Parts: sequence; C-alpha cells; structure tokens
Amino acid sequence: MDIKFVFLILNGLTQAAILFVLGSGLTLAFGLMRVVNLSHGAFYMLGGYIGYSIVKATGNWPLALVAGGLSIALAGFLFERLMLVRVRGGDLPETLLTVALAMIISDLCLVFWARTPITLNVPKYLNPPVTILGVTYPGFRYILMGISIFIALSLWFILYKTKLGAAVRAGVDDRETVSALGVNIQVIYSAVFVISALLAGLAGVLGGSYLQLSPGGDTTILTYSLVVIILGGMGSLLGAVVSSLILGQIMSFGLAFAPQYSYFLIFIPMAIVLAIRPQGLFGRKI
Amino acid sequence: MNLAKKEPFAIGFIILLLILLPFFVGQYTITTFIRIIYFGFLSLSMGFLIGQGGLVSLTQTAFFGLAGYVIGLMNIDHGIMFPWPDLTAFVVVFVIALFFGLIAMRTEKIVFMMITLAFGQIVWAFATQNTSIMHGWAGIRGIRPYVLYGINFNDTSTFYWAALVLFLSGLFLLWRIVNSHFGLILNGIRENPRRMAALGYPVYWIKLVAFLIASMYATMGGVLACYNSGIIMPTTLQLSRSIWVLLTVILGGSTYFWGPVVGVVTAIWLDVLISSMTERYNMVIGILFLVIVLFSPTGILGMLDAIRSGHKLKFLSKFFLPKKKKID
Repeated sequence: MDIKFVFLILNGLTQAAILFVLGSGLTLAFGLMRVVNLSHGAFYMLGGYIGYSIVKATGNWPLALVAGGLSIALAGFLFERLMLVRVRGGDLPETLLTVALAMIISDLCLVFWARTPITLNVPKYLNPPVTILGVTYPGFRYILMGISIFIALSLWFILYKTKLGAAVRAGVDDRETVSALGVNIQVIYSAVFVISALLAGLAGVLGGSYLQLSPGGDTTILTYSLVVIILGGMGSLLGAVVSSLILGQIMSFGLAFAPQYSYFLIFIPMAIVLAIRPQGLFGRKI
Repeated sequence: MNLAKKEPFAIGFIILLLILLPFFVGQYTITTFIRIIYFGFLSLSMGFLIGQGGLVSLTQTAFFGLAGYVIGLMNIDHGIMFPWPDLTAFVVVFVIALFFGLIAMRTEKIVFMMITLAFGQIVWAFATQNTSIMHGWAGIRGIRPYVLYGINFNDTSTFYWAALVLFLSGLFLLWRIVNSHFGLILNGIRENPRRMAALGYPVYWIKLVAFLIASMYATMGGVLACYNSGIIMPTTLQLSRSIWVLLTVILGGSTYFWGPVVGVVTAIWLDVLISSMTERYNMVIGILFLVIVLFSPTGILGMLDAIRSGHKLKFLSKFFLPKKKKID
C-alpha cells in the first residue's frame, strides 16, 4: 500500500480520537437528560483557550489538559445548578438556554483571546517521532489516540461497573421508577452534565493541540459532535466510538482528495443512516 | 391570537401608517423596515413551525440563503432576467425542502431540531467550501432590483412598498392557513401526534406540508433580502443567523400568531440600538436570550397577556419561587 494512505488513515484515527471525546460527552448527557447541549462547541472552545493560556504561561501541557477539563466541568456544574435546573423537563427552554450560553461564551472568547486562529504548543518531550513498521508519525498523535481510548474505557467502566453508572442506565430507561427507588435523580443529572462538560473541555485541549482554535469555530465543532451522535445513535457509547471512527476517516480522506467538499462529505453517512434508520446506528427508538 | 378579531381598526390604522411611512421618515428608517420585512418572512417561517406544529427547525435560514444564491447565480453569472431566477428560487428550495423534510420528519422533537441544524450546516458547508459554483467565502455581489413595467424598484420607497404588499399578503395567507382545517390538524399534531395518528390523520405528510409551506415563506424573505442587500454570502447561512431568528420567535412569543412579527420588529430595533453602543452584540443578545427563557418563556406577547389579565408580576414571582419540582 502507498505510504500516503497509511498517513491518511493515521490522520483519520487522530481525528476520530478527538471526535470521540467530543461526541461521547454530548451523547452521555442526551441519553440520560434528553438535553441537547448546544453549548458543547462553546465549551470545547473555552476549554481549548484556557489550555492555550496555561501552556503559554507555564509550558506544562498535561497541566493545561487537566485545567482545561476541570474548569469547563466547573462551568458546566454552575450552569446546570443555576440555570438548567429551573427549566427542567421542557425540551425547548432547555435547548434555548444552552444556545444562549453558547453565544455568551463564544463572545467572551473573542474578548479574552486572539481573533486569529491559534494552536496549543506541544512540548518536544511529548512529541517524539515514533516509527512503527517503518512508518514515522508524530508521537503526540499516538498520545491523543491513547488518551481517547483511556477515556472510552473509563466511561465504559463508570457506566457498566459502578453504582452511578447503574443509576444512569436505569434513569435512561425510566426516570420515575429510579427516583421512586430512592436514587436522587437530580444529583445524577448534575453528575452526568459535569462529566459531559469535562469531556468537552478535555476535547478542547486535545483538539486545540492538533487542529486550530479559531473565533467562530464553536459552531463547526458543535456540528461535528452532533453528526457523531446522530450517526452513532443518541445515548449510545458504542455508537459514538463507531461513528467517530467512520467520520475521522471521511474527514481525512476528504481533505486529501476533495478539499472543496471535505466538510460537506461528513454529512453523507448521516443522511443515509437517517433515511434508513432514524435512531442512528446503535441508537434505540426514543 | 384574537388581535385581529378584536381590533380590526387598530390593524387598519397600523397598515395605513406603514403605507404612508416613506413620506415621514428618512432613507435609513425605510431600509430598516425593509430588513424587518425580509427577516419577518424568515421569522414567520420558523414561528409557524414552532407555534403551530411544535417543530423547531433550524434549516429555515438555509432556505432563505439558498433563494439568494439561486438568484445570484442565475442573474449575475448567467444573465437570466426576471422572473426566471425568482421562480427557479422557489422551485429549487421546494425540491430541497422536500428532500430534507422526507428525512427529517421521520424524527421528533429535539432530534428533529438537531437534524435540521445539521441540514442547515450542510448548505453552509457547501456554500463556503465550493468555489467553482458557489464562489466560496466571496459570495456573489451586485444583485440589483429590476425596472418592471416602468416601475423602478431600485428606489428605496418603491421597493419598500412592494415588500410591504408581499408581507401583508403573506401574513393574511398564513392567518388563513393557521385558522383553516389544516391548521387545526397541525395544532392537534403539536399536542399529541400519536392520538392524531390513531384518528387516521397522515401525521408524517401533514408535518411535511407544513415544512414546505414554511420553506416558501423563508424563500420569499431570501428573495427580498438578496435584492435589498445586493450581495449573498455564506455568512447568511451561518448557524448564528438561525439562532438569531429563533430568538426573534421566542422573544415575541412562539405560541402567538403575531409573536414572530413582534419579535422581529423588537430585535431589529435592538440591533440598531446595540450596534451603535457596543461591539459585544452577541453577548447582549445571549444574555437577553437567557433572561427571556428564564423569566418569560412566553415572550413579549405572553408578558402583555399576563399584565392584561391582572397577573402583573407573575412571571417574576415564578422565577423566584420555583414550583415544587415534578419528576419528569
């Protein structure tokens, strides 16, 4: 096989790693709360910018990753407790609140950070050239993939092996029965929303180190994450894995062979799946 | 809702004022009113779907922009004259809306919203990235209104009157649709689609027809908009534009027939006001959005209704004394 294709596949995998971290947060929140968090893209961007500032100040990339994730988790917690809880149960008001938050955050980013696209600096020690089977590829991208796999495994562990996860899964099926059984569903809601925000923040730092952060980029990111969860099936972790792998390859190959249509191409699998199976590849009927 | 029944004189008076407007005010105000009219069409398009059908569609702006693109491409790039570009715009949007609608109507509620958002982004992506047909970021410039039957639509006042006539007829037509048998069925579907299906109504197709009607209103707005601004660019198709239109609907009161109109008038004047004061336009709009959703989800008209029926500060007290929470 041509060496070019190997690189394209690897690029696609890197892209998929970021898409997964992004989409899994959204799909998790949707599965339980039926809230489509339209500020997910803005959370990503804010997380990325916070990470950028920390890398610029300290040069410590792992610290930036942690801080970017945690600060967005905190923002998500405050937003859920102070605002979202007041309109719980109404589909439209909940979504509108997240839209409003997205507008405010993206404008704040314009105030505090550059108006030109920026990329996080990855320190040399995290980015050695790695040669596997005669193919040399930046090591940092393998780290990205590793982090993404680690996140996928931890999410799987939390959802299927812990009490919190059991309550979350039960809540997806029947909220009333779960709360009647003595589980405080409000706490579960908060926890899930915070995890979702945390993932968006982490994705922001990861994505900002591989791609660019640019003003107004939050809507593009939001669209990517929506496509991931629509294609994979909303609320499905496995769906997020599979769809981000598919979309990652499409984005990578599209950019190489049809740059005029690369962004357009990612919607094609979505449209096909919707026409045949509206609930997505691994989704259940809602 | 019953504004038209109760106060026909008030409406007649407002229409008269609107017709006479160019004699009293300057060019800038007239241009602002033209903006209100074409965004009014777009807002009506979205408001009709939300208020009557409970369908939150974020694709409407794409139809609005597509209409402009069709006219720009045919008129500027190929030199085809009125009425062909305009008619083609309606046909093209109809076909695309049919295609999107056939897919999107298979889903419901919040999923529908996300899918329509994605559809809007498809159109945006195509217009942005494709340079060979759509001209990419540059867009198409130089679209001018025509001189028809000796009437020069390049004149702002004439254009305003033409737009006003179209808008009033559009409003009247929509009013008839909302109050027709079809409108009633649509309301039934908004409240309980399963029951309507059980009663034998073809829910899927009725929603699709509503979607197509709405897309035609968006197209009408887009046609007027591209002639007025003379330029069509991918920024017209941006998600932020869809969200702004959604804001106008919620601001006015999504459950009211006049909600989108009230919302668009308020939002455009706010726009004029805020832009002259601060650069942080989006921040102000975002905060406004938050305040409306939290304090007065029924919008301006809902607030007026509450004041009229004596519950003056109900919308405030509701916020500070939240109801006992129900699960689900």
